[in-house]
Amino acid sequence: MLLHLLVLAPFVAAILMVMTSKEDAKSSSRLAILMGIGFTAMSVALIAGGSVSTEAIEWFQIPGCKGPVYYYLTSHGLASWMVFLSSGLSLVALISARGITCRSYRNFAIGIFSLMGAMNGTFLAADAVLFFFFFEAMVIPAAVLIAGFGGKDRMKAAMTFAIYTLVGSAPMMVALWYVLTVADNSMLISFAVAVQGLPEGTQNVLLGCFMLAFLVKTPIFPFHGWQAITYAEAPAPLSAILTGAMSKAGVFGFIVWVLPIFPLSMNAVSGMMWLGLFTAVYGALMALRATDGKKLLAFSSMGHLGLAVAGVFSLSEAMLPAVLVLLVAHGISAGAQFYLMGIAERMTGTRELDQLGGLSSKNPVFSTLFGFAGVMALAVPGTAGFVGEFSVLLALWDMGPLPALVAGFTLILSAAYMLRFIQKVIFGKAAREYEEGRRTSPLEGFSIAVMLVLLLVFGFHPAFITNSLVEPEATENPAAAQVLNNAALNNGEAPMTEEEIHQLDSTLAAAGFKDDERASIIAQMKGDNSSEAVTKSENSVKETSDAE
Amino acid sequence: MISLGLIPLFPLLGCIILGAIAVISSGSKKGPAEGFVGTLAVLFPALSFAGVALLSFNMPEGGIRETLCNWIDIPMFRVDIGFLFDGLSRIMLLFVTGIGSLIALYSIGYMHGDRGFARYFAYINLFLFSMIVLVLSDNLLLTFLGWEGVGLCSYLLIGFWNKDLKNCQAANKAFIVNRVGDIGFLLGMLFLVTVGGSAILNYDVLSNFISMVINGNHVEIVVPVLSVAGILFFIGCTGKSAQIPLLTWLPDAMAGPTPVSALIHAATMVTSGVYLLARLGSMFALLPVVLDIIVVVGMLTAFWAAVAGLFQNDIKKVLAYSTISQLGYMFMASGVCAFDASIFHVFTHAFFKAALFLGAGAVIHALAGEQDMRKMGGLLKKTPVTACVMIFAFLAIVGFPGFAGFWSKDLILERLFMNCSMFIPGFTIFGHEVPNIPLNGVVYAVGLATAVITAVYMGRLIILTFFGSYRGSKESEEHIHEAPAVMLIPMVILAFGAVFAGYLWADSIGIKFFAETLAPVVGAAQAYNTPAVTAHLNPVVFAVLGTVAALLGMFIAYKIYAKARIPAAKGSSAPEGGKATWTFLFDSIHKYVGIIPVNVLAWICDVVVDKVLAAAQWTLGAIATILGDGVASFQVRKVRVQIALSILGLIALMVVVLLTGGTL
Repeated sequence: MLLHLLVLAPFVAAILMVMTSKEDAKSSSRLAILMGIGFTAMSVALIAGGSVSTEAIEWFQIPGCKGPVYYYLTSHGLASWMVFLSSGLSLVALISARGITCRSYRNFAIGIFSLMGAMNGTFLAADAVLFFFFFEAMVIPAAVLIAGFGGKDRMKAAMTFAIYTLVGSAPMMVALWYVLTVADNSMLISFAVAVQGLPEGTQNVLLGCFMLAFLVKTPIFPFHGWQAITYAEAPAPLSAILTGAMSKAGVFGFIVWVLPIFPLSMNAVSGMMWLGLFTAVYGALMALRATDGKKLLAFSSMGHLGLAVAGVFSLSEAMLPAVLVLLVAHGISAGAQFYLMGIAERMTGTRELDQLGGLSSKNPVFSTLFGFAGVMALAVPGTAGFVGEFSVLLALWDMGPLPALVAGFTLILSAAYMLRFIQKVIFGKAAREYEEGRRTSPLEGFSIAVMLVLLLVFGFHPAFITNSLVEPEATENPAAAQVLNNAALNNGEAPMTEEEIHQLDSTLAAAGFKDDERASIIAQMKGDNSSEAVTKSENSVKETSDAE
Repeated sequence: MISLGLIPLFPLLGCIILGAIAVISSGSKKGPAEGFVGTLAVLFPALSFAGVALLSFNMPEGGIRETLCNWIDIPMFRVDIGFLFDGLSRIMLLFVTGIGSLIALYSIGYMHGDRGFARYFAYINLFLFSMIVLVLSDNLLLTFLGWEGVGLCSYLLIGFWNKDLKNCQAANKAFIVNRVGDIGFLLGMLFLVTVGGSAILNYDVLSNFISMVINGNHVEIVVPVLSVAGILFFIGCTGKSAQIPLLTWLPDAMAGPTPVSALIHAATMVTSGVYLLARLGSMFALLPVVLDIIVVVGMLTAFWAAVAGLFQNDIKKVLAYSTISQLGYMFMASGVCAFDASIFHVFTHAFFKAALFLGAGAVIHALAGEQDMRKMGGLLKKTPVTACVMIFAFLAIVGFPGFAGFWSKDLILERLFMNCSMFIPGFTIFGHEVPNIPLNGVVYAVGLATAVITAVYMGRLIILTFFGSYRGSKESEEHIHEAPAVMLIPMVILAFGAVFAGYLWADSIGIKFFAETLAPVVGAAQAYNTPAVTAHLNPVVFAVLGTVAALLGMFIAYKIYAKARIPAAKGSSAPEGGKATWTFLFDSIHKYVGIIPVNVLAWICDVVVDKVLAAAQWTLGAIATILGDGVASFQVRKVRVQIALSILGLIALMVVVLLTGGTL
């Protein structure tokens, strides 16, 4: 029920908004924000509720295909967090947009709700055709909003955005249709089965088609041509949604639709990883030279998502939680930065970095928020960004030291451009005289502050995010018990040699023990008397038995 | 017994409360009441200090361990938030919270009337929180939280007066240079994780692992990997502790308020690199190559910075280079596995350098912001208390017998000579066998020479500032006044420490209290490497040599500067000519090695690659448009053609469907 509501109700909300008064922005904004809060609450409930699915309803049959297309929604940890991002950011966008679009707030809200529905559909769809339907549907409200509410170049930006992303996913449509003609139905598993049976050449073509759509959406170098102009010209609240939630659809697509369906060759995997890393460096370098505040943020987003894609294709064991935390952290922090940049633009009337400055003495509250949002985007430990980037680094480490080194290099670059950004916008003296526009409203400031606090909370307790990925394990591992017994037998004997310990370690690893459990068992084996190691291992044994 | 978690919690609470006050009051004209804010700002660090003191007296031999909760738990990686209170963290915490409280007290006077009063103290409390976490944590990842946290606070406080873009640039530089080091730290942790899983990030597990390796005679197997990790950690330390090559940020960091320089850039944060080496001592003891690198880097840094200190006219810059030089001593000591000596120098240095900085702050305060020593002079009569404090601290830093620096510096020099096992490997030249040439004498000599230079530049500072006659303008002379009591009290306490802190470990008179408290932590690491010089040398020899060095330096300073006519100050206080080349040597290296290549790369991306891509994209678009125009010509008003085209299209579609195996 929750799933249906999250996907369909936003469209209903959009229709409801049509019925509100066009003139009275106040009343329509109240309704919109109330509904936004409702959706955010539902998405939190979705995360709390764990994995759920709806019943598969037959939707329609495509001529020439074996099975029908279903309307089938499912949620898992990754999807529900993405839904949280999309509804949460939409809520803040609805709040923040009150300051920008006074006259036609109603139309803006209609667009945002339709976009939210389409995004939720993308993340929750369990059927490939349904996924593709929503994936394409996202583009239209976004393009309309850009054309209606954007900056000076808005028409060009809207056209570039719409055409680039639609053309990018057109091959995927053909590929989908082709797979449908061989697969039993359009579910993920039958897709995977069908693709396995195809010759390798066909597989590669299909893979390329799928990849292209996600490469464009993320975007990954060299398909980022639409991004900077779109994010810069779109109204800031929309840019926040685009980068915070919509661009995640690309990374999401890699994880949920590419990795399970296609048997990837090692070359393809490492190629994609390096492409991601290159994008990370490229985005950071472009951000160093950006003169437009929103373009800087756009390139910064590109860099972070490049890192996320590199993390995905590390295919490490730690990949999924690492990338998920990174995506959530980036969604919140980049979103907050776009909102704040929007406020800065509203106040000063420009987003050129050289024309800004000196806001910290004029608007201390705004500048505090701005400064902290900037610092949190630097992945300082204690923020969610750090947990995400560190664990992605850890995942990349599986592929060797070099990828991790490159990723580390991007962290240095990100400090360089982000500090320059902060300095240009809020420090120093104002570069020019200007008529001050609307300041931060209390509700707006509060909602951004909540986002920043969330970043801190997830930074100190990322289990909120990572636990949603853990499926409760109930099976006992007989191999583990065996090893433990052996270990107990060995205890009385002479201390083990390094080789034996190494062997034991790998056996334990094969038996599915975690690192620290292994370490403590080994410490025990060594006849180590340090009480801590013993209690630790006891704890871990207890945990295992609890889990059983 | 109080929980360890309370110690960092107090400053964190302080930070939150003061931050809230700062934000709420930012709209008002007047700002919050300074008395109230100041009380809060001192209260929380003082509470923390009280907690540490209480714990210190009741600490069991093995230390106290406490795990608060889990932090990160993902496949392959699990780290807890846990604290470790042992001999090492006890000493670090005592002086961090103690000096932190004193400097907070001093700041009330120094920052009086500043618009950002509450914000300043919020940052100071945040700094203390991070610093406490850094030294109290029981694993590397949590230490890294403090490590970057102190870097962040340093950034915030250097750029505290952010209306002046120069300060902001200094702050940015500090953060970015530190970031380079931090990446080393981060990669070092990853290397360790590959060796022993995420559990090895815990200090106890790590030292157990090391002792297991030693007991099992497997040192050779792990040394290559650990050496890489060690070098990476050391890169992290060079960033935070301003060693070659990442030292350029510290002199610039003097842009911040002076109490900040005293607390962060002299007494506490910059010593965290030395702390980390001591904490990982058991690992570093196994790595002779890394240790040699550390000795060489420390030696070069100490010498280079001491010479650079001679050239500065800005009183704070002199102290900044002096700090770098003293940190070089500490690193040299770490490099010969004398971790207790290095921490002892950290401890005494914290007192006398903080006293020097606070004294300099009082001088600057008295002269209404003047920092150029060429415009000072004769302040001994005008600000006698400040002068006395600074002279005591001066005697401590040059190593005058009986003062704090004498004990710690001589200990380091002695250990350098006795323990340094560096040598030039033997080689054959013209048929002559040349045996291994030990370098311990060279290292010792450089250390001693640096001690002489230290005495010269510090003597110059004292003479230019307090002796002779006042060289500033006549109007400014009338306004010179002694600092208020709230500033003097912390200074006097620190001066007291600068005199007596050394007696915690006065080897020559048989007091070894300090060494004994550190022994459980670093003893094993120090015992691993046998001293290079086995012959017994009387420690008095070293003490005498050290004293001679100090006296010689002071004498040279007196000869050169006491009678010399100081050239009138014109323009900026920055050194010029060859002096500037020496001072900004590493800045120019950074420029050519780091900044310019990155800018060139960015230029290539922006101007070449991106433009080519955009051109390709628009060309494709243009081709599509042209094709579309061509196809549009089919759109004719002839029904027959239209129908024929439609039928053709339909047939084509059917063929495609049939060919791909579908049914109609």
